[in-house]
Amino acid sequence: MELFFTQLTNGLAVGGIYALIALGYTMVYGVLKLINFAHGDLFTIGAYLGLTLLASLGLTGYVGTAGGLLFLALMVMGLVGIIGILLDRAAYKPLRNSPRLSAVVSALGASIVFSNTIMLVYGPSPKVYPQGLLPTHVFYLFGLPVPIMRIIILATSLFLMIGLYVFIQKTRTGTAIRAAAIDQGAARLMGINVDRVIMLVFFIGPALGGAAGLMVGLHYGQINFTMGWIYGLKAFTAAILGGIGNIPGAMVGGLLLGVIESMGAAYISNAWKDAIAFFVLILILIVRPTGLLGERVAEKI
Amino acid sequence: MKKILFMLIGVSLLFAGPVFSSDTIKIGLMCPLTGSWASEGKDMRQIVELLAGQVNEEGGLLGKQVEIVVADDGGDPRTAALAAQRLASRGIVGVIGTYGSSVTEASQNIYAATNTLQIANGSTSVRLTEKGLPYFFRTCPRDDEQGRVAVEAMLEKGYKRIAILHDSTTYARGLADEARTLLADADAQVVFFDALTPGEQDYTTILTQIRRDEPDVVFFTGYYPEAGMLLRQKMEMGLNVPFIGGDANNNPDLVKIAGNRAAKGFRFLSPPVPQDLPSPVAQDFLAAYIEKYGQAPGSIWAVLAGDGFRVLAKAIAETGSTETATLAAYLKNDLQAFPGLTGMINFDEKGDRIGDVYRVYEVDEEGNFILQM
Repeated sequence: MELFFTQLTNGLAVGGIYALIALGYTMVYGVLKLINFAHGDLFTIGAYLGLTLLASLGLTGYVGTAGGLLFLALMVMGLVGIIGILLDRAAYKPLRNSPRLSAVVSALGASIVFSNTIMLVYGPSPKVYPQGLLPTHVFYLFGLPVPIMRIIILATSLFLMIGLYVFIQKTRTGTAIRAAAIDQGAARLMGINVDRVIMLVFFIGPALGGAAGLMVGLHYGQINFTMGWIYGLKAFTAAILGGIGNIPGAMVGGLLLGVIESMGAAYISNAWKDAIAFFVLILILIVRPTGLLGERVAEKI
Repeated sequence: MKKILFMLIGVSLLFAGPVFSSDTIKIGLMCPLTGSWASEGKDMRQIVELLAGQVNEEGGLLGKQVEIVVADDGGDPRTAALAAQRLASRGIVGVIGTYGSSVTEASQNIYAATNTLQIANGSTSVRLTEKGLPYFFRTCPRDDEQGRVAVEAMLEKGYKRIAILHDSTTYARGLADEARTLLADADAQVVFFDALTPGEQDYTTILTQIRRDEPDVVFFTGYYPEAGMLLRQKMEMGLNVPFIGGDANNNPDLVKIAGNRAAKGFRFLSPPVPQDLPSPVAQDFLAAYIEKYGQAPGSIWAVLAGDGFRVLAKAIAETGSTETATLAAYLKNDLQAFPGLTGMINFDEKGDRIGDVYRVYEVDEEGNFILQM
């Protein structure tokens, strides 16, 4: 039983990060029906920018660790968001009226450009975040050891996801995003500036991916320029699992994928972890082709 | 018709070699300049180019300048096959490289089909030299040699319950299997045998599994980025089992990733690093390398590429020939106790390097690698 709960917390912590990245895939897909394959690399950029800013500004020295990290997170999210908008301008906007396949190829190209740019700028060897910034406390829940960072990661992910959900559901801008996701033409006729909505989507998605990258860097310590590939693939899977285009779906899919992986590794075989996760994905897609929460087609995004 | 066409292409390739190589002696270098092993590839390139520069300053080989033709294998078997085809058609005398066993394996047949001499530097998987390819050599030792030293080191410490963790690459799986076979005959028990997925960040799941099986020691046969993460997360989880690693952990980045506290006490097997070799050849090389590039090479594997270049250059100079068969015969039969950067070099009939190369290293509290035996 102890093993089960330990693996559950392991899975939820990883799943929270998958979910955060999955949101970026799902938002862009919701509005543009485009799989932004460069999203995993935006996540990597977030991790690297966080390291650069942390090292060069010495923020935590001025305003304390917590304040410094919060400020750092906002800066990383802002910068990665801007890179997201530039990505859209450079790689996707010129192809808006082309066949969908062209945009997918362009996305793959952007992904290669990003990961190689990171390699050329930062070098090919793995980079390491400074240690000792985060609490390493172990917290006891019903006698089970749970490192406090696991809880902080999960809580931060949930906070960002719920914040996004409220923003999409309750604000005027959020309504505009939902409208553009349902029918761009009709939204335009209703006076919604669809281009601005797309820009916003390309800001928020990458910003969340960047935040996930920063969290990975801070918690795991080691970052490398290829890590966006694995995380991107997993997050993409999570988005499909939950029902792509659906925001709560991405959250559920991410957490679920993390838990399936760690349970599969724990009770079946670690080497087959990914195979088990993809097998479950296939099973779910056979039963529910739109993904777990994909039924609300009208409310895409 | 097709057969005739292939034969024509083959024949034209045979003649193409000498035509291309008339003004310089071209030596190929296949290394991972992109992908996750890119830092190894960069060092390999710098080392081989430095050594080639030294040879050229001393008048080159057979009165000609040496030219290094570099091809990026991306650390990926598919890219490697393309790189090998490109190199093989450039009129090279031989090729140095590459690092990962699965990557080398993808290129072997292409070089064999074009009669190109290949000297791999980091590919330790046993089966690479068991195929009977006449022109394949390696300057690194094989996994079965390493497995033997690892098992000896673990038994010597009195460990009874042993966990083996690999990462499903040709190399790591080969080493893990070898160790498991050897342990079957020894007074010890393999309590855990599984693989992790390289390139991930979170290994707490597998560490939780290892904790459940209560081993005395964990033998990790994979690469340093994962080893660093494992050590770090092991400490964070409060898991105190000692780790011993395979030779792909001989990289200072391991300590950077894990942090000094987590890396302390980690032991790994490796051929000796150049700093630990008293030979004047190695010391001269190291001084020249640091002078040119500002820091010492990151790992032993890149230095073994340097040894690959040096034996090839020696063979060309001694035989006065650039014929693959002549060079291969020289390396197998006539090269005796050649003073390499990593110690004495001899090759056996299979093209494997002969001799006891492996040592055990331990990481101290400052993160230095200390030679144990």
